[in-house]
Amino acid sequence: MQLPITPTDSTDAPGAAVYDSVWVGTEIPDAPPVGLETVMLQQDKLYVVLAVVLIIWFGVVFFLFRTDRRLAQLEKTIDARLPERDDEVTA
Amino acid sequence: MSTARPVYGQAYRVITAVIALWMTAVILAGFLLAIPRLHIVEESARNLYFHVPMWFAMMSGMLVSAFYSARFLAKARVIYDVRAEQAALVAVLFGVLGLITGMVWARFTWYVGTGKWWNFDPKQSMAAVELLILGAYFVLRSSIDEPRRRGRIAAVYNLFAVVTAPFLLYVLPRQMQSLHPGGEGSPAFSQTDLAPIMRVVFYPAVIGFIALFWWIYTQRVRLRLAERRLEETV
Repeated sequence: MQLPITPTDSTDAPGAAVYDSVWVGTEIPDAPPVGLETVMLQQDKLYVVLAVVLIIWFGVVFFLFRTDRRLAQLEKTIDARLPERDDEVTA
Repeated sequence: MSTARPVYGQAYRVITAVIALWMTAVILAGFLLAIPRLHIVEESARNLYFHVPMWFAMMSGMLVSAFYSARFLAKARVIYDVRAEQAALVAVLFGVLGLITGMVWARFTWYVGTGKWWNFDPKQSMAAVELLILGAYFVLRSSIDEPRRRGRIAAVYNLFAVVTAPFLLYVLPRQMQSLHPGGEGSPAFSQTDLAPIMRVVFYPAVIGFIALFWWIYTQRVRLRLAERRLEETV
C-alpha cells in the first residue's frame, strides 16, 4: 500500500497533470493508514469511488422513502374520501 | 390561482426508462474503463464521474427553480410555485450529496493519516454556505401561511439565492488556493487537464445526473400537485 507522496514528487512525476496536485494550504501527512483507511486505500483507492457511489445511491433511496410516505398519505386520504370500489371483488 | 396539470404519459415513461439505462451504463463505464494513473488520486480519479455531476445537477435545480420563481412573479400560478419549490428541494439533495461525496473523497485521498473530514477548502466551505442560503428558502416558505404571499416572497428570495451561486461556487474559489481545479484558469472544457478517455464517461455522467434530477423533480411535482388537488376538494 502506497502512502501519499510529497507535492514535489507528485508534480514532478512524469505524466503528472493538474489533478495530480495537492492544496498548498495544507501539509501532506505521512502517518500510516489506520482504521477505515486500511480498507479505503485498497485496490488503488477504488473503494473510495464505491463509497461515493453508495452515498449517492443512499441519497436517492432516502428521497424514494420520503416520496413513498407522502404517497401513502395521499392514498389514505383518497380512501377516506371516495366511496369503496367494488372492483376488488372481481379482480 | 389556477393549476394546469402537466401530462405524464407514454413519452415520460420512455424517457425515464432511458435515464435508468443511461445511468447504468455510466456507472459501468465509470468503473470498468481504464484511466491514466496519477499519484495520490490513483483510481479515486473515477469520482470525477460521480462527485462533479452532483454540482451540475444542483445548479440545474437552482436554475429551474429560479426560472419558475421568475414566472411566478410574472403570473401567480400555483404550478410555478410548486415547480420552484420542488426543484429547489431536489437541488438541495444533490448539493448535500456533492458535499458528502467530496468529504469522503478528500478524506481518503488527500487527507490520509490526518483524520480530517472537513478541511476548509474554499470551494467546500462556500458550497456549504450556498446550501445554507438555499436552506433558508425553505425556512422562509414555512414561516408564511398565506399561499400567494408565500409564493411571491419566496420567489424574490430565490432569485437572490441563485445569483449568489456562481460567485460562491465558481468565481471566489478560483481566486484562492484550493484542492479543486480552476485556480490556474478556467478548467471548463480545457483541452489539457482531463484525459480523453475520461471525457467519454464524464460528459454522459453529467447529462445522466441532470436527467436523474429532472426525473426526481418531475415526480415530486406530480406528487405535490396531486396533494393540492385533494386539499382543494375538501
